[in-house]
Amino acid sequence: MTPPSRLTPYLYVLPLVALLAFVFGYPLLRIFEFSFKMVRGIDGPWIGLRNYQLVLGQSLFWESVLHNLQLLLAIPVMVGISLIVSVLLSERVAGWKLYRIIVFVPFVLAIPIVAVVMKRMFQFSGPVNEMLRWMSLDFMALDWIGSSDVALWTVMILIIWRESALGIILFLARLLSLDESVIEAAKIDGANWWHRLWHIILPEMRGVIEFYVVVSVITMLAAVFSYIYIMGGGRGGPGTSTEVVELYIFNALIRSSLPGIASAASVMLFLVTGVLIFLLFRVRRRAEAT
Amino acid sequence: MDNSAYPMFTRRSLMLSSAMLAGGAALGGLSKGAAAQVKDMDMWYWGEQELPGLQKYVNDSVAKYKAATVKPMLQDTAVVISQFQTAAAAGNAPDVQYLWNGIYHMESVWLGYLRGLKSLIKPDILAASNPTMLSHFGGDIYRTGWYPLPMFWCYNKTLFEKAGLDPEAPPKTWDELLVACDKLKSSGVEALGGGIQDGYWSEWYITHSLPQQLDSLGEAVELFIGDKDFNDPKYHEHWVKLAELKTKGFLNKDMSSLELYPGIDLVVAGKLGIGQTIGTRLPADSKATGGKIGYMTMPVFGKGKLAATPVVDVQGLGISTNAEDAAAAAAFLEFLQSPEQLKAFWEATNWLPSNTTFDSSVIQDASVRGLWENWGLKSNISNVTNLMPGQFYERAAIPTGQQIVAGSMTGEQAGELAAKTAKEWKDFNPDMVENYRKWVKDLSSPT
Repeated sequence: MTPPSRLTPYLYVLPLVALLAFVFGYPLLRIFEFSFKMVRGIDGPWIGLRNYQLVLGQSLFWESVLHNLQLLLAIPVMVGISLIVSVLLSERVAGWKLYRIIVFVPFVLAIPIVAVVMKRMFQFSGPVNEMLRWMSLDFMALDWIGSSDVALWTVMILIIWRESALGIILFLARLLSLDESVIEAAKIDGANWWHRLWHIILPEMRGVIEFYVVVSVITMLAAVFSYIYIMGGGRGGPGTSTEVVELYIFNALIRSSLPGIASAASVMLFLVTGVLIFLLFRVRRRAEAT
Repeated sequence: MDNSAYPMFTRRSLMLSSAMLAGGAALGGLSKGAAAQVKDMDMWYWGEQELPGLQKYVNDSVAKYKAATVKPMLQDTAVVISQFQTAAAAGNAPDVQYLWNGIYHMESVWLGYLRGLKSLIKPDILAASNPTMLSHFGGDIYRTGWYPLPMFWCYNKTLFEKAGLDPEAPPKTWDELLVACDKLKSSGVEALGGGIQDGYWSEWYITHSLPQQLDSLGEAVELFIGDKDFNDPKYHEHWVKLAELKTKGFLNKDMSSLELYPGIDLVVAGKLGIGQTIGTRLPADSKATGGKIGYMTMPVFGKGKLAATPVVDVQGLGISTNAEDAAAAAAFLEFLQSPEQLKAFWEATNWLPSNTTFDSSVIQDASVRGLWENWGLKSNISNVTNLMPGQFYERAAIPTGQQIVAGSMTGEQAGELAAKTAKEWKDFNPDMVENYRKWVKDLSSPT
């Protein structure tokens, strides 16, 4: 019997690799190609870097980038909330398993559903403002989704509320896997709750926190479309106050019939996200090593 | 090797099987050839979303039509244009395609995906369907009208009475409007507005207000592509007027956080005096209020020839260049315009078909009948926002209104943004400029 060639295993996986290359690689190549063309319908003439020049020269694109960067401010809040709630749950207070399910519910619900509900709640005459007025806090009854100055912060509240749920579950899973004897030993040695958190728990959680931060950064830059689309009236409004890069791409492709422009912006977003994913893997590797 | 498990398959039986398969295939081909005498056609359409009952009407119509087998497919809103254009580029477009008005089908004309209908449809039928000026290009017409969408300002007659205003004499001029708003406000109700959060109110406002300073629809196109300047005060006066309504406190306070239809509901519910609406809502709104919803053209402030002209948008149908038998497709479109089909349309949708020969005696509701007689049959213009390039629509038309209503932009600033966006459109679409300029010629002929 002839021993199998070294190539044999590769031949076995070749069909799947070819399928994946076709499903993911081909569209990606086409997007790169389109970004250098003035596409009308399904193709168009080669125009070099013109699409990139137009995108980078448009104030709206930079406004969109700025909004994505503003959303990054949500990440420290999400980490803080996730840490506090997960640590409290890990203390195994009465009913903690039920609380665990409740705090994870936002993440299970589809974004469009929670966004539609939130939008109703934050309307000028909606329940949030009605409650504030009832509490005689009229000065806090803002036009949450109708004011250009406030709308992006309102979206951020929704994102924090939903995305923190993932952080809580990730952090809680890590907390529950900690070696309890170390914590017990610290207790016996007289370490109070704060000391245990600062000197034992947080260092042990460093890897998962870094992971969550990198995932959240990617989310804020490239995965907030659903939130923005619904809360911003489908247009990143009012005006362009909640427009983000994903919506910019969507508008260019679907509403302005500019596939070349959409592709150029997509390529840039892809490259930035690619760098972040690379960082994610490095962080994970380092976390595993420690 | 034990062959007992396998059936005997001799060379003879192989030949026999082959002969039978070949015979079967030939018969299949014959039957297909025979079936080809009754033509197969595809029809992609949209509209059930805005006109419940349309799908039933289409299904009934194709079942009734015997000259061809028409396979209808209801499209999703997001892909009406892209699905057609992609299919057309691949040579697989349907024979008959639903077409929104203006640029929403003109781009397909410029790409060569649609046939001109002048040589295919009888002139009187084509004209009666009111495809509108926005379907004219290069001397040809590219759609038949299917159903009209009259657009108008609505008002609550009960609130008018309560404010001491004559419910049968709505304001005609801008000054009269300001007086009416003041009286409504004094009577304790919010005077004017609706919901602008999703942007459509902003579009409709331009629909009604921009033509007031225009002499032709071609002039609008010249503005949108930057050949005329929005910085010219007369071209952004409509935004200045909107800002005036905001400054005087006549717009409803929750306007920025409400969407279009909940905003119209406020008028129907008696919480808002004046709003903007569309004809397809009128039968239900009129019924809900016991006939207390009035309609009017936008009060006049402008001096253009198009000022105070009722607006009627029309949805339509066209024939793709991929249609193998364009004459057969045209015959089907003519069938849809026959008196029997117009009646069937009304019965299925409780709404008007787009045809000036429609027997309107079937309309029971006085408001709807009045709307048909004054908007549908008299001189009207189409929706000017259907002439906007998508980029202008998204970057200027929608944001300007939203920001003025939110109090974060003046009318002059809106003009600046619109002018800047028009210039930007030219940079992004150098290959489209000439098409638009040719279109201006068709649109500048007398309306």
